Amino acid sequence: MTAITAPGLAGPATAAWPRIGREWTLALPLAAFFAVFFVTPLLLLVAVSLYADAEMTRFGLDQYIRFFGDTFNLAVLGSTLLLGVKVTALTLLFGYPLAWLYTRSGPRMQSALILVIILPLLTSVVVRTFAWIVILGRDGIVNNLLLSLGLAETPLRLLYTEGGLVAALVQVQMPLMVLPLITTLSRLDPNLLDASAALGAGPWRGFLKVTLPLSLPGIVAGCLLTYAAAVTAFITQSLVGGGQMLFMPQYIYQQTITLHNWPFAAAISIVFMMSVLGVVMLFNLLGRASKGYVHA
Amino acid sequence: MTLDRRQILAAGLTLGAMSLFPGMSWAQARKLVFATFTGSWEEAHRDVIVPHFRKATGNADIALDPMLSVDMIAKVSAAKANPPIDVMLMDPGPRLSVIGQDLAAPFPVDDSKNYKDLLPVAQLPEGPGIFFQAVGITYNPEKVKTPPTSWDDLWKPEYKGRVGITNMNSTLGTAFMVELAKTRGGGENDIEPAFAALKELQPNLGAVAPNPGALATLFQQGQIDISPGNFNAIQILRARGVPVEFAKPKTGTIAFLTTAHITKNSPNAKLAAALIESAMAPEVQTKLMQAPFYVIPTNSKVQMDGDIARMIAKDQEELKASFVFHDWSVINQNRAGWIERFNKEIKV
Repeated sequence: MTAITAPGLAGPATAAWPRIGREWTLALPLAAFFAVFFVTPLLLLVAVSLYADAEMTRFGLDQYIRFFGDTFNLAVLGSTLLLGVKVTALTLLFGYPLAWLYTRSGPRMQSALILVIILPLLTSVVVRTFAWIVILGRDGIVNNLLLSLGLAETPLRLLYTEGGLVAALVQVQMPLMVLPLITTLSRLDPNLLDASAALGAGPWRGFLKVTLPLSLPGIVAGCLLTYAAAVTAFITQSLVGGGQMLFMPQYIYQQTITLHNWPFAAAISIVFMMSVLGVVMLFNLLGRASKGYVHA
Repeated sequence: MTLDRRQILAAGLTLGAMSLFPGMSWAQARKLVFATFTGSWEEAHRDVIVPHFRKATGNADIALDPMLSVDMIAKVSAAKANPPIDVMLMDPGPRLSVIGQDLAAPFPVDDSKNYKDLLPVAQLPEGPGIFFQAVGITYNPEKVKTPPTSWDDLWKPEYKGRVGITNMNSTLGTAFMVELAKTRGGGENDIEPAFAALKELQPNLGAVAPNPGALATLFQQGQIDISPGNFNAIQILRARGVPVEFAKPKTGTIAFLTTAHITKNSPNAKLAAALIESAMAPEVQTKLMQAPFYVIPTNSKVQMDGDIARMIAKDQEELKASFVFHDWSVINQNRAGWIERFNKEIKV
């Protein structure tokens, strides 16, 4: 193996790209893994979605026409995407102060906080979701509290409602929002806030003009993760949302597993994936815009 | 011989691949894979059928792989030539898909000792019935003082917000709708009365659970007090001390036959047949019928006893008289449309 040239000794012709040697080959195993176990199944999925009938005998765009031809399907897609927006907005609302508190705390408090933030990730999502069934049930903690305080006369229906589902998802996905926020907020130079205060900005103005814009990359990253996780959260959606509230993941499951209509299931999977990608790209554009804003 | 990096890397990758896919190196002599149902079914089958099978076959290697019937079909139809499962358990609806998609090999009826002792309804050469499941009314005796006797009791105004059902994805949910249609002048070919009845049930509905397991846990949480329910799911809750009882509706207990099938192209077809033979044996079914399993037997030689005799049927004659079977060949044809309708119409 004498042909290998150390990157630092590369000739002038390659100087513009000093780091491209043969190191890229190290990425090959992972690339091959993705090609075999992600790209191939994805292409298969596209192929299956192009069958015109459930028995998979002829090709055609029938499944997509069926999906877009029925307002019910569009309503399911819309409510799923909207569910993600609600969950992401609430997670940001509750997560931001938590992340901010973390960066302002002493080391002891920080380790306590990080434990609280990470802890949900250490238990299975099924367990966390079941905890919410106990909390929201008719005999659950919330209802018992409301009844004993006299705030309600009969137990409220909390489980199997969208409100209950949003609350559960916000808690379950919280770490995905808080961790990127902590990363960006900790990198923020505290002198900037002092400077803005010295120049006469109040705490709110300092926050709105300095902290918030500088933390936008973290907000975008957190929102991306939370959104993608919330719209695809099959377990939480079905266990806390119940059997009559239909979101895209259950719809796909129903068509695949119960009805064996693979082409339609594949078509809705593709439509769902494209829609989520669309939202994700929107977030990314925001992120890019925020970078321009920060450097301006 | 000296090893260079390439060889070491290649060897490392091979080892890694082998540990990722152990089946690759053992394709010829793999264990018998019995796809059973999850939860208490797996426990029952592990504790009773497996020891009997191992004794009968001189300690043949066996692995249980618990999952739903529909998942078994998905796995087997994705690898028809080299199926990862040797014995499949099917509910009546999926059973017809298995036969329709030609995924099962016929059970060798002529070589079987126990097959002829099965109740006639369980003698199916495509795959014999090894137990029944029964669906009746489940209720919380602490809240529901008079034991229900009819499906109509779910509509009583006193159960406002207390009734639970599952959606039609599950066998339980679909069978309940069919039975509802039947008791109101419809049937497998006319589901309309069931949807009309469900509309009237809306004020009483406290929950539409995503699956039967989730429905059962709702009794534990006090979310619901009365629902259609699977006898075996109720027995598990009872054993955990949850106050639930099972009542037989006067129009009959909805029954499903669970059948065992040898997967087509299984490399272990002989052992698969031996496993099904064990599952049909009267001594196995007698043991499975007793606490804590309460599996309803299909072998006519089994003497009914305990909770099954008290809550389901005291003997095979009563069982035949009280069990209602639905025609799943008709249900399967209509089910996609029903599920679509349920998706659209039932909002709580």
